[in-house]
Amino acid sequence: MKISRNTLLTLGALIIFAGFLYVAQNMFNTYILRIINLCAIYSIFAITFNLIYGYTGQFSLGHAGFAAVGAYVAALLTMSAQQKEANFFLTPIVPALATMQWPFLFAIIAAGLLAALVGSLIAWPALRLRGDYLAIATLGFSEIIRVLLVNMQPVTNGALGLKGIPPYTNLFWSWGCVVITLFVIKRLTNTSYGRALRAIRDDEVAAEALGVQLARHKLMAFAVSAFFVGVAGALMANLISTIDPKVFLFFLTYQIVGITVMGGMGSLTGSTIAACLYTIFLEVLRPIESPFTIGNLHVPGVPGMRMVLFSILLLIVILFYRHGLMGTREFSWDRLFEFFRGKKKASPLTNSEGEQE
Amino acid sequence: MLPKKITLNLFSIILLIALMLSACAPAATPAVNSGDVPETGDTIVIGVYEPMTGSQAAGGQQTMQGVNLAYEQKGTVLGRPIKMVLVDNRSDKAESATAMTRLIEYEKAVAIVGSYGSSNSMAGGEVSEAAGIPVMGCSPTNPLVTEGKQFYFRACFIDPFQGRVMAKYAFEKDIKKIAIIKNISQDYSVGLAAFFRTSWKELTGSEDGIVADVNYQDGDQDFTAQLGAIKDAEAIYAPGYFGDAALLMKQAREMGFKGLFMGSDAWEAPELISIGGSAAEGAVFSSHYSAEAATTAASKPFVDAFTAKYNETPSAMAALGYDAYMLVVDAIERANSADPKAIRDAMAATKDYQGVTGSITINETGDAVKDAVVLEVKDGMFKYLSTVKP
Repeated sequence: MKISRNTLLTLGALIIFAGFLYVAQNMFNTYILRIINLCAIYSIFAITFNLIYGYTGQFSLGHAGFAAVGAYVAALLTMSAQQKEANFFLTPIVPALATMQWPFLFAIIAAGLLAALVGSLIAWPALRLRGDYLAIATLGFSEIIRVLLVNMQPVTNGALGLKGIPPYTNLFWSWGCVVITLFVIKRLTNTSYGRALRAIRDDEVAAEALGVQLARHKLMAFAVSAFFVGVAGALMANLISTIDPKVFLFFLTYQIVGITVMGGMGSLTGSTIAACLYTIFLEVLRPIESPFTIGNLHVPGVPGMRMVLFSILLLIVILFYRHGLMGTREFSWDRLFEFFRGKKKASPLTNSEGEQE
Repeated sequence: MLPKKITLNLFSIILLIALMLSACAPAATPAVNSGDVPETGDTIVIGVYEPMTGSQAAGGQQTMQGVNLAYEQKGTVLGRPIKMVLVDNRSDKAESATAMTRLIEYEKAVAIVGSYGSSNSMAGGEVSEAAGIPVMGCSPTNPLVTEGKQFYFRACFIDPFQGRVMAKYAFEKDIKKIAIIKNISQDYSVGLAAFFRTSWKELTGSEDGIVADVNYQDGDQDFTAQLGAIKDAEAIYAPGYFGDAALLMKQAREMGFKGLFMGSDAWEAPELISIGGSAAEGAVFSSHYSAEAATTAASKPFVDAFTAKYNETPSAMAALGYDAYMLVVDAIERANSADPKAIRDAMAATKDYQGVTGSITINETGDAVKDAVVLEVKDGMFKYLSTVKP
């Protein structure tokens, strides 16, 4: 009875959300749309990072690399032959790719699959490492991917980057992918696999003693995570419509880690909310960089001020809310009802479905 | 951990604020039909997007010195006040695209200036093209920036020309053997090296003169491996940023290299001399402009005004920023309208505009056709050597 109520509510929320997207796509100007799209892309980044770190406890810093793979695959598969010819004016493109042009859906899937493949390849040797060592190894792999992109000129156009990628990404693609990502990862974490992942996070030795196959589970977490990061990379390439290897510097991974920490390790809802807040705040805070006057105090415009303010916010979160916005809790209808009824039940980990936005 | 109630309450407050903000934002920015004159009252909004923070902040800030000076001198057009809005693009592609959308949708800019860094400009260009708002780039020299774009122009020359300038210089100096050392991770460096090679081939009829073509990466400090590969070259062409170039020159001299160093406009920074020291002495490079060789009537007053305001000689980036802003104002004047389409047409028709960096004519691809200068490092200063016509 109760489950069906929650499922109904979830479906209802999804329909309302789809309606909102439809209205937004047609009513809002490109500035607002771009921000909402970026929210979605950062959400996917944060959710997938949460799967690797929040749920499995593997501190991997390879996100920028996976995103780069996804972005380049999608870009090369969706660009028209003329655009490719114009882009590769220094070194001609490899003939096999020159005229290849796929529909966006297949390009996204290909981007995800290739990123997953790269993710698994990286996970393979890196699995023997733990903690800081894993972080350094994955960071290294991510840099290797970037250096490869710079040097494989006939395929990636090297440092010159690609431009004229068709701007296919709209709200339905981006938020559609967020919903799918949330659904898949939520489902995954509710299965025995998910519990095994959490067991690995809490104590690898104990988990192994209980019969959890460490390598297999970690590999799966990496592959699933990398798949969706690749998808997000593809969305990003087709949103900005130009990419180069410098987009995927380590700074991107920093941002993702920051967002995930803010949202709460182990909370997918938290990641989504934090990603949206991060993207929206950075834009809303723009006016503080231009000169303004408070009373008699004239404040000259200082570029970078919003980053300072943002860092302070991050510090506050880390100092006072060590578990982030959501901790390990998830949004759930039950919790919502409890909240309104004013009941205070101690529920450590609510894991009912009912995920939206 | 805080009591749960407080956490929950705080969380709901934050959510509430976020909701309010996202609700306000669209209401404040009604959609504008492109082509109409945006309703901004009497003021004409000129947007500027530059990297004020991030890895390219130095270049963005130099550019803004020039733009700010220009804005001070020319604050009205067509009898209407200009409102200049600067938006930081954080040296980041995604941010550049967002910054451009913000200028167009939120600030209602009718024309835009920017950006330092070709990769930033390429991201912004996709947005402005779709919205039909003209942009005047200050210093993005990558040919791809204006390629296929109807609404993107630039006040600077492009890399193929700059590569040719130095190839010609070497050819005229009767240098027979040249080594190219480029930064493979900078589009700018890769492009220049390629165009240098092409021009060299055109001039000498073969590529035999290029005895080595080696790469390094961003952040490399040790160039001994690359320098080991240059064989018996009489000159090194190293189109990269000044920091790399200075280290490279030092190490080359230490390894006994006696020949000539040649570079590009990114060398023009005091650090080239302060880091390179005596090794940088005699190095030559192409640039946009020299305060010494005031080419047009506008140059001298600009240098004076700039020195009075900032107490330093204007860099090439500042001069280009000044020119880019003035070109936009000039286009608005000639269009006699604040309609983006009309401004675009006027920009495309720019001919023999007397800017501070020289006489500027916009060609059919939207690039400025103008002179380049060759500078030499002499007695710890940048000295003007010669001017090369397009």
